[in-house]
Parts: sequence; structure tokens; C-alpha cells
Amino acid sequence: MKRYFANKKAIAVFVAPALLLFLIMVFYPLTQMFVKSFYAWNGLSTGKFIGLDNYIRLFDDTVFQTSIKNGLIFSLFITVFQISIATVLAIAVSNIKIKGRNFFRIAYFLPVVLSITVVCQLWLSVFNSEYGMLNRLFELLHMDYAQDWLSDRHKSIYVIAFVNAWQYMGYHFALLLAGIKSIPKDYYEAAQIDGASTVEAHRKVTLPLLSETYKFCLILSVTGGLNAFTNMYIMTGGGPGTSTYTLTYMMYSSAFRAYEYGYGMSAAAFLVIECLIATLVINKLVARERITY
Amino acid sequence: MTMQNTTLQLRKPRKNTTGNILFKMGLWLYAMISLYPIIWMLFYSLKTNEEIFVSNPFGFPTSFQWVNYARALSEYNVPKYFFNSVIVSLGTVSLTILISLMFSYATSRMHWRGQHFARLFVSLGMFIPVQSILIPLAVLVKNLHLSNNYLTLILPYTAFNIAFSSMVFYGFLRSIPIELEEAAFLDGAGIFTTFFKIIVPNLKPAISTLIIFTFLQAWNEFPIALILITDNALKTLPLGLLFFQGQFTTDWGAMGAAMIIASFPTVVLYIFFSNQVEKAMTIGGAIK
Repeated sequence: MKRYFANKKAIAVFVAPALLLFLIMVFYPLTQMFVKSFYAWNGLSTGKFIGLDNYIRLFDDTVFQTSIKNGLIFSLFITVFQISIATVLAIAVSNIKIKGRNFFRIAYFLPVVLSITVVCQLWLSVFNSEYGMLNRLFELLHMDYAQDWLSDRHKSIYVIAFVNAWQYMGYHFALLLAGIKSIPKDYYEAAQIDGASTVEAHRKVTLPLLSETYKFCLILSVTGGLNAFTNMYIMTGGGPGTSTYTLTYMMYSSAFRAYEYGYGMSAAAFLVIECLIATLVINKLVARERITY
Repeated sequence: MTMQNTTLQLRKPRKNTTGNILFKMGLWLYAMISLYPIIWMLFYSLKTNEEIFVSNPFGFPTSFQWVNYARALSEYNVPKYFFNSVIVSLGTVSLTILISLMFSYATSRMHWRGQHFARLFVSLGMFIPVQSILIPLAVLVKNLHLSNNYLTLILPYTAFNIAFSSMVFYGFLRSIPIELEEAAFLDGAGIFTTFFKIIVPNLKPAISTLIIFTFLQAWNEFPIALILITDNALKTLPLGLLFFQGQFTTDWGAMGAAMIIASFPTVVLYIFFSNQVEKAMTIGGAIK
């Protein structure tokens, strides 16, 4: 048997494509990203080593500060929106007494399968100041909220975050629903016999037992928020001004608009470290809660 | 309340309290928030500008303007983008599945030095945000003269998907009894025959799950396509449909039609196979 499983030729054929592709297309660019963040580089020549200059410049850059702040706002907004709504909806749909559960499931999940371009442009037409659905609706109801939704320096980041949260809420909903379904029914019956109300039963049974799922949801939405790019690229182009820049957007515009590749990479390196820290912190925090239970 | 629940009802009488009604209204309200914008888009893809902007912005189209769809297909390059998306998605799916299957088989079943290191190394891919390596990737693709053909997208998409799908296959492979292969070897089959005739068929459920997952990823991917594709003839749908970029569009009918066409494959896939799609999309949560 060993003869078959130690077949050198077969091993090479099986392993080489994956390893090579990963090395060339993912790992090599990753190392380049860190290395070149210490260079002044326009993407063409080999560039000039300048030590920490890119990073020093980064911390003085007001656009960088805006980008960090927006990443945090975006993360916080989508995390709270998605996970709180997804929790309530998943618990509701898991209840067999609710009628039309399949309809609700499909309704909540459908935006997830749409392309982000379609979603962003759909919401651009909803938020359109002249003809958009939202302003027309306010007009119809004689309410005074009609406005140009994406041209306010302070509000537009929330508007964009809402669009992202709207699209991916269903993803968290499906994750939690799958988690709830895997919890044995006896747990709830036991809680009910002990006289717990439905809300109490879910708080004492569902939430603690789903801590692994919540950890996954949290990592996904927090790092997804820090990485945000496409939503602002399509909906505002980072504007008005630079008010909806994020780290990825900053990297994109330094590299492909200002041709400062090295500077863009220092923003990217910062982003990777930020995501890593967020993941570690979430792992720690959620693990600790599980012990208390 | 239905009859089956009488035992629970005896212990805890539950009526349609105000709280309950409010709760149900909440469920409907969010369903509306989730669905109505999409339906609204479907409606305006079938309306005239006069209806969209003036007379009937919210409701059902008064007469179906299929001409919007004809215009989307003839004037906005939608068939070309659609075709590109199909090629790129199918290419990515087949390459990802094949490469990951082989890799996870070699790392889980076969014996060689460094097999654990190789597996862990490739699984790093799951923790690297795609966005962070866009610049070096763009430079690399340019230097390799890979620009402007279908492989420009298929290779990076595959490279990014290998980590996740290898991990999923690895998990499934460990649950297949080794006796299956032993029997095949005793019958005189070689390792490649055994792999394709015994292992691959046994992994069908995992393969179909990953086909759905990878397809959706590739069909909807945006940032890599944005950075790597400059030739209009190679743009995939997410890139080709950027109506609001550059020029301001007033042709909402055709824009809506183009977006409906672009969403059609994934929405139909989801409606018909909703359980499988949800399972595929959330498999990451089950594995962690």
C-alpha cells in the first residue's frame, strides 16, 4: 500500500499546480507588498529604498486618518446591523410556528447572491436625489426628509455602510440559522420546563451555544468592513472630497491614480496588520465568554 | 395555534399578543426592505422613462417595455460581458475544483515530507485580504505578460479559492475509509485511476457544494477584475455594468434590464437550489 501512497510522480503532479499557483499569485505578491512598502516606487523601475518614510508620511496624512476612521465606522455599522438583525430573524425563522418560513428565508438571503455592482447601482438609483425611490417616498408621505443622500460629508459613509449591511445581512442570517438548527431540541424543552420564557430560553441556550458561529460572523463583518472598497468605489468614488476613503481606497488611488505604488503598499500593509489584530482580538474575546458559560 | 402544540399550550398559554403581532410585522417589514428594492428594479426595467420618473415610480409597469431589454442587449455590450463572465466563472470553477482535489488528496492521503507544512502554508490564503495585494498582483500580471486574456482573471481567482476549497476537501477526505482505495489497489488500479474512479465520485456532495460557492464568488468578483482588466472586450459583468461611472445615465430602463440580466443566473440558481446554495455559502461557518 505504501508503494501507492508514496508514489513520487503522483505526489508531484497532485501538489505542484496548487503550490505553484498559490506561491506565484498570492504569496509572492504578499511579500512584495511588505517589501515595497519601504520603497519609493512608481510600479515600473525597481524603486528606491527609503526605510520608514512611507509610514511616517502615512501617519501625518489626513486622508489616512479619515480612512482609518471610516474603516472603523463601516465595520461597526455593518457588524451591529447585520448581527443584531440576523440574530432576531434567524431565531424567528427557526421557529416552526411561524408561517411562510421559506418565503422569509429566501427574502432575507436573496441580496447575497446579487453582484455588488448591481446592488450598488440599485441603491444609487434608490438614493438618487431627483428620481430616487427614497426621496419620492418621502414626498408621497409629505415628510421632509428628502435630500441628496450621498453628497453629505458626514452622512454618506453611513449610507454606503447601510448598502453593504443590507446586502450581506442574509449571509449572517443563514450562518446563524444553520447554527440554531444544529442545537438539539431537548435543550429548549428543558429550558421551557424550567419555566424560561422564549426570549430567556434563547438568551440562555441559543446565544452561548452559537459562540463559534458568532465568532465567525464577527470576524467576517469586522474584517469585511475594514477592507471595504467596492461600495465606495461605485457609489461615491471616495467623495465628496475624500470623506468616504477607506484604507483600500487610499491604496487604490495612491497606486493607480498618483502612481505612488510604494506609498499605497504601506497603507495596504497597515490594513493587513489591522485585520490580523481584529481577528486575534475577536478570537480572544469570544473564547473567554465561552469559558464563563 | 395548531393542534400539535396543545401540550405546550396547556403549560404556557400563548395568544396573539400585541408583542407577537408587532414581531410578525417586523419580519414582514424586513422582508419588504430586503425584497422591494429588487422588485422595484425589476419594475423599472420594464417601464418607459415617463413612467419611471413621472407617472408611476413605485408600482407594477402599465405595459411591459421589452424594448429596454433589447436595448440592453444591443447597445450596452451585455451579451459580451455575459459571455466573459460565463467563461471566467466556468474556468475558475473547473480549475479550482481539480487543483484543490488533487492537492487535498496528496496532503491527506499520501505520505511525503513537508505535507503538513504545505497544507498549512496554502491555507494561509484564507487569512489574506484580497484587497491588500492588489497592487503587486497588478504589477506581476503585467510583468508576466498575462494581461488581457481570460487567464488574467481565471488564474488569480483560482489561486485565491484554492485555500478554502482544499480545506473543505481535506475535511471530507478524512471521512472516507481507506479500505476503498486498498480494494482498488489490490485489483491492480494505479493511483491516478483510483483517484479519479474511486475518490472523486465519493466526494460528489463536497464537489457540488464547492462548485456553487466558487461559481458565485467568481461571477460576482469585482476588485481583482477592476485592477487587472483594461480591455473592454474582456470585461466581466460586474465591471461592464458600471453605468454610473464616467457618464451620467438617464436610460434607467435599459440599465435596469442589464442589471436584471446580469443577476438572472445567480438568482435562478438560488431560487431553485436555495438549500444547497445556502449550505455552500455558509460552509465556512460550519468548518471553523
